[in-house]
Amino acid sequence: MSILKLNVIDLEKSEYKGGKSSLCPGCGHDQISNVIIQAAWENGIKPEEIAKMSGIGCSSKTPAYFLGKSHGFNTVHGRMPSVTTGANMVNKDLSFLAVSGDGDTASIGIGQFIHAIRRNLDMVYIIENNGVYGLTKGQYSATVEKGSKKKKGAMNEQAPIDLCAMAVNLGCSFVARSFSGSKKQLTALLRAAMSHKGMAIIDVISPCVTFANNDESYKSYNYVKANDEVLHIVDYIAHFSPIEAVEVPAGEFKEIKLFDGSTLRLETVDNEHDPTDPVEALRAIHNADKEGRHVTGLLFYNPGKKTATETLGLTKTPLMALSESELRPSEQSLLELNNGFRTN
Amino acid sequence: MSLRVNDFTINIATANGTGSQSANLVILHSMYEMGVPVSGKNLFPSNISGLPTWFIIRASDAGYQAPGDYTHIQVMMNKDTWDKDLNNLEPGTVIIYNQDVKLPVERDDCIVLPMPMTKMARSISPKMAKLMANMYYVGALAHLLNIDQKAIEAAVSSQFGGKEKAIEWNLQAIAEGKTYAEENWNYESGFRVESREKDPNTFLIEGNEATALGAIYGGINMLSWYPITPSSSVAESIISWIPKLREAEDGGATCAVVQAEDELAAAGMVLGAGWAGGRGMTCTSGPGISLMSEFIGLFYFSEVPGVIWDVNRVGPSTGLPTRTQQGDLSMLYEASHGDTQHIVLIPGTVDECFEFGWRAFDFADRFQTMVFGFGDLDLGMNRWSTAGFEYPDIPMDRGKVIRSQEQMDAISNYGRYRDVDGDGIAYRTLPGSGLDPILYRGTGHDEDGIYSEDPQVYHATMERLKRKIDGARDLLPAPIIREEKVKTLGIIFYGSMENTIVEIDDMLEETGLSVSTCRVRALPYHSDVESFIEEHDRTIVLEINRDGQLFGILRKELPVQLLTKLQSVAYSDGLPPRARIYADMILETMKEVEL
Repeated sequence: MSILKLNVIDLEKSEYKGGKSSLCPGCGHDQISNVIIQAAWENGIKPEEIAKMSGIGCSSKTPAYFLGKSHGFNTVHGRMPSVTTGANMVNKDLSFLAVSGDGDTASIGIGQFIHAIRRNLDMVYIIENNGVYGLTKGQYSATVEKGSKKKKGAMNEQAPIDLCAMAVNLGCSFVARSFSGSKKQLTALLRAAMSHKGMAIIDVISPCVTFANNDESYKSYNYVKANDEVLHIVDYIAHFSPIEAVEVPAGEFKEIKLFDGSTLRLETVDNEHDPTDPVEALRAIHNADKEGRHVTGLLFYNPGKKTATETLGLTKTPLMALSESELRPSEQSLLELNNGFRTN
Repeated sequence: MSLRVNDFTINIATANGTGSQSANLVILHSMYEMGVPVSGKNLFPSNISGLPTWFIIRASDAGYQAPGDYTHIQVMMNKDTWDKDLNNLEPGTVIIYNQDVKLPVERDDCIVLPMPMTKMARSISPKMAKLMANMYYVGALAHLLNIDQKAIEAAVSSQFGGKEKAIEWNLQAIAEGKTYAEENWNYESGFRVESREKDPNTFLIEGNEATALGAIYGGINMLSWYPITPSSSVAESIISWIPKLREAEDGGATCAVVQAEDELAAAGMVLGAGWAGGRGMTCTSGPGISLMSEFIGLFYFSEVPGVIWDVNRVGPSTGLPTRTQQGDLSMLYEASHGDTQHIVLIPGTVDECFEFGWRAFDFADRFQTMVFGFGDLDLGMNRWSTAGFEYPDIPMDRGKVIRSQEQMDAISNYGRYRDVDGDGIAYRTLPGSGLDPILYRGTGHDEDGIYSEDPQVYHATMERLKRKIDGARDLLPAPIIREEKVKTLGIIFYGSMENTIVEIDDMLEETGLSVSTCRVRALPYHSDVESFIEEHDRTIVLEINRDGQLFGILRKELPVQLLTKLQSVAYSDGLPPRARIYADMILETMKEVEL
């Protein structure tokens, strides 16, 4: 009999699992689903406190494959942010974990993506980015790089939309990029995003094994492996585990304090990256882009911004939990209202 | 010439943005103050300043609220519409005009009464002369109609509430206009207003404000909206009234208000709020509904409550944005792709705007679906009389929501979409509750909410949804039926046509017809509608649109043997309905049937 491992709230990892995936074998998205399970379990989040949100596409199907004990909504194409906004407005105590794709976000959903960032919606927004539309059999999406080529068809001639650069420009409070094949980096970044308050975006390059995993595709497994420009080594130290227990790195590093008291440690690889400087974040993106490389790590961190519900000054109790007497004004108030109109 | 007492129509032609609305409302309110049954219609352009506007005031002891088929008194202030306004007038019309526009009035067959309004206004304030000039026609009408001075003072002080200087100047302008008319016009007026006993409880209010107040008493806690005429004032009224009517203990807001990036997002937010257990609502007009359609299908299929108010303007496309129509009804009833059917509440009075404003949330929660409120510009943006709003007579209905494990245990074989009660409505749990979660989806799903493409499962789901909405028929507001003993002709109508129906009815009865009426107040339609048709020799469905949209819905759903009794009379030109047009069309249709 093996001893089952429990997390900080005494749950087994199996409590965070979902149904069987129906994606293509080897799909990068399934690796991301595993990281979501791992991160939520390690962070000790109660499954019922999470709301899984998605739009339409291969990526948006994945909420069926993780966190089976959480409610979720697989909404319509490109409009997941608005549904999340409505749910967040009436229940700000839920932890929103959203999964979208590059078609769902960068094309049909670009408007809602932008406005969710603008409002600083309190959510984790994962983009499973493979540069192609999978469910409709391999058309290019708007994030595919100029010069990249999928398995069949012509080379892409249009410049890509870089969702991280866009998020930085909009002042998004947490912007990271990672790779579905970098399990350690992605887990640390996702755990940090879950510890953050406000909009946290992680653009995860996630190769499409069926339509674009050929070497001429800039988002293929081999290409990303060979051209991953790692900004820093990331280590997540949860607020409930003593920081001394984590080995201090030999080289230079900086630490970022997250909203829930956890820490993200960034170890310098080549040059130090200051994630609080939007210009530095944009420079890192552009420099990598020029060389056909993918920059990964925590690009930008801008904490302390008011979230959408904080801006509105909502009452402490989530609105959905307000009682009838708090939501329906008294009979006396209506008498006074009528009288006010009569004498006006 | 006989004196017309409380029975005439005034048309005031001005330009948008010149301050004429204040003058028009002073006339309307001073007559209302005297107890004269009066209605006002603002025909305004899609423009902030400069384009022509007409305000129509109808006094009618008979209680007719339509604009009337004949203009008795024409006020002319706008040079751009001068010739057209003049040409439209019937012989004998009284024309009051601003001489300073410096355009000729060549109508020997009319009574022509000039006044140098701008010049006189300049003597009060050169800067404000353009705005103040309007108050001179108020004075002119006060003289002509013998409007009570006290009523005018009350209307002016309410219009310019608290601004002493404005009240003083405007009253001075009105007095000067009155004196000028007395001294210079050698005309014995054929029109009078006479005081009537006024119910002290009544007041005038716009339908949109009534809807907004209803929503607040319905417990709205998430409002998302995208500005669009003529619905914006629903949202703006909610925003301004909520802090005055509701207060949380910690001083926080009890309703989240989000001005969305577009109507798609506004609908998505309502969906998210309903899914998470809130009472979400948005308000829009036809173009917004077109954009929201995909989400409306998701509401229907995933069974999430929400409220969308459509204040109808003239379509198709951008249409006539500031004019009125009942052109969205069939779109609302079956909005979105695939087989759908939605509950539509159709108020015909400001009292019902309030009542359906709060009931919409109860119906949405009860039937776990999107509920439409359906009004139009005429009802929403014009002022109508009420004796005061009535407090909800039932507690909030939050529908079948399982909130505890005990409640869950009491249901055997729970599934999110399993019809355990046989009414087509399944139980639901809320995110955050930890109770039997599912991944909601717009894709095919079985009774447990699991993805399914199984033919039998899909078919059963769609049949249950039909049963669910069908089950709402007789629980929704019943039609208001006014029945004659002799059941020759029945008229089915809805919404703002309520304000014209009495006059149409009177015109028809003058010809010897016996006319019963049935005002439909919700879709799917109540079983009483079917019996009404059964009981009458003929029934005409009367609508403010081109195609006879309710007629189409009835024709689709009624038993086939009733269809031969049913005719459509539909007409729309953007203006509020005038009784004569519809009465003539009904008489014409009756003749065709007899042939």
